[in-house]
Amino acid sequence: MAPAENHEAAAVARPALSDYLRWSVDHKIIGVQYGVAAFLFFIVGGAMAMLIRLELWTPALDLMVSGSAYNSLFTMHGTIMIFLFIIPMWAAFGNFVVPLQLGAKDMAFPWLNAFAFWLIPPAAVVVLLGYFVNPAEAGWTAYPPLSTLFSGDGQTLWALGAHLLGISSIMGSINFIVTILNMRPPQMTLWRMPLLCWAVLATSIIAVMATPFLAGALTLLLLDRVAGTTFFDAAGGGDVLLWQNIFWFYSHPAVYIMVLPGMGVLSEVLSVHSRKPVFGYRMVGLSSMGIAFVGFTVWAHHMFTSLQPELRIPFMITTMIIAVPTGIKMFSWLGTIWGGKIRFTSAMLFALGFMSMFVIGGITGVMLAALPFDIHVHDTYFVVSHFHFVLFGGSVFAIYAALYHWFPKITGRMMNERLGKIHFLFTYFGFLFTFFPMHIVGMLGMPRRVAVYVPEFQLWNQVISFSAFVLGFSTFIVIYNVIRSYYRGPIAGANPWRALTLEWATTSPPPPTNFDDDPIPYEDPYGYGTEAAAVYLAVVERAFDGDSSGR
Amino acid sequence: MSSYADVHRKTKLGEREAALRLKNNRLGMTIFQASWIMAFLALIVVNWQLRYSYAQWPPAGVTPFDATLPSIATFALLLSALLTRRGWQGLRRGDRAQFTRSWRLALLLGLGFVASIVYEFITVSEAALATHYGVTLRLMTGFHLVHALAIMAVLLYVLRQDASGAYSGDPRQSWAAEGAAKLWYFVTVAWILFYVVLYWLR
Repeated sequence: MAPAENHEAAAVARPALSDYLRWSVDHKIIGVQYGVAAFLFFIVGGAMAMLIRLELWTPALDLMVSGSAYNSLFTMHGTIMIFLFIIPMWAAFGNFVVPLQLGAKDMAFPWLNAFAFWLIPPAAVVVLLGYFVNPAEAGWTAYPPLSTLFSGDGQTLWALGAHLLGISSIMGSINFIVTILNMRPPQMTLWRMPLLCWAVLATSIIAVMATPFLAGALTLLLLDRVAGTTFFDAAGGGDVLLWQNIFWFYSHPAVYIMVLPGMGVLSEVLSVHSRKPVFGYRMVGLSSMGIAFVGFTVWAHHMFTSLQPELRIPFMITTMIIAVPTGIKMFSWLGTIWGGKIRFTSAMLFALGFMSMFVIGGITGVMLAALPFDIHVHDTYFVVSHFHFVLFGGSVFAIYAALYHWFPKITGRMMNERLGKIHFLFTYFGFLFTFFPMHIVGMLGMPRRVAVYVPEFQLWNQVISFSAFVLGFSTFIVIYNVIRSYYRGPIAGANPWRALTLEWATTSPPPPTNFDDDPIPYEDPYGYGTEAAAVYLAVVERAFDGDSSGR
Repeated sequence: MSSYADVHRKTKLGEREAALRLKNNRLGMTIFQASWIMAFLALIVVNWQLRYSYAQWPPAGVTPFDATLPSIATFALLLSALLTRRGWQGLRRGDRAQFTRSWRLALLLGLGFVASIVYEFITVSEAALATHYGVTLRLMTGFHLVHALAIMAVLLYVLRQDASGAYSGDPRQSWAAEGAAKLWYFVTVAWILFYVVLYWLR
């Protein structure tokens, strides 16, 4: 379908691979830098998960030399996946897509944007160095006294690295908020803004307000570790709950930092690939803000077993309330695809996968919010299952949906749909059979973060481990697809999905300044299925693809 | 054909972009202030929660801090912030002499503030330091001092830039001065919060 000169043109227009290895203030380059770096960390963290599952194949300690080795392994797995994979990965899509959706030429502060990215490699080196020196063993939550009295020097490096990543996150988020609020074209009011931008706005508000608390907590942890203070040491008059309060005041909102952009992606992908307007657009935008706000009032549900009893009920109530804005989104997604002309593209499949998995993670979240139940399953595999349903079944599925959806815009070439569907099947079922059985072993009482377990659980653990290996294998399919499609995929054209948002109203990949002149957004970013939308799409197609449109 | 990176580098900032840049800088500064004040609030939470792990505050056998010197220092800092504002207004009118005069005085007062707080930091009694009453004072004043010194360096830098005629009455060309002043207000507000918590809330 693609004539040779078309091939040539696409190859010249996109940035050279070496451009991605250098300092650049172009948001599209930075977006790809974030994305590739984050995916590399995903592979590292994933390999660690494979080792964890290998160790758990038998009830005894066999693969690891000691329980400590296992502790440091899951500590790094969690740290890498949260701080180095999911959060930067959303910065990747936010960077690439948000300015384009707004019709802007770049982010508000291009230099700061690049600086925020380039803090990540040194931070990663510091964190990973810790693993090879004398690793942290206290889990990604780094509770004292585990992180103060019983963890190696790696814990100090861990805290330093996390500090840098937090600063990077704050700088990135300030940039997003200013870009979204100031750089829209005059025709695009807040209520005409794409929902990904709403989600990134809400995410960034959370990040700027919550991350300084992480900075505070880490500063105290560092002081306790290196300066001999006793902020968290009860023997010296300190308080271990102090860490838990400050840490979760950041880290619970951080859960929404990790999933809200994915919810924004869902609204985009579901609407485009089912050719239907987003159902309840305003409520979806507002529910992002609602989640951001309520997200600050729930942190102590992580401390139900250590909290003063009279504080438990209020936190139980606020935690249950946060299911309301989340439910609004779920309802909106169902309403959006209902009766639509659904195209089962890979992006759509992952979006539907998100819906089915996230609803399970959401419901177990409400179960865990219920105090009596939480105390029963506290620190068991039920909790592990819950947050993987949210962070893998949610965030990672949405990341894949975003990858398949925007890859044509980023590289100018389509991904292979057949491989995409195979990838989806392996990921979906690999994920489901890895994490669903964890509910069961958790209810039966298998504790998390332990390398040995009672032999009764072995069969379940082998099912889980086998499925985890399938899930791990699925990653190779998408890596192969990305590399192959980057070089040999069919030329995408400006708007392969016939979408109405502005990122599709320019060439793929977009030129350095994104748009030749000031783009005028279509009046409704999700107004699919009308005559006017068809006319607009035809105009876009003629403007960018000429008569070479073969789709 | 020039490479992708070259094209990007050649993109020039137009008149309209310069206005947008000022708007972005102002909003960005506001968000930064709202964000980073949370780090100071986090330390206030630390102070607050640690208070409740002691039977009384200040703990038994520890003499409460004397608020006299910190109060004078706080007053100096407030005055200094007002002077930065006055200087900035002078710059907007094109009155560079007023700008230089006010900012020099502001920096001098800032220096006085820093010296007083350093004195407070150093002279915490042994008895106080054995408890979190003294330790949180050092934590909070130390954390604040780092910010105060860093931003005084920014004020000084702006003053020296101005001596070589870098700024004009056009706010688009003197964002550095406006931004530095706003950072100094931030230091002032953050200190007032700490001052109340450390010296007045018993």
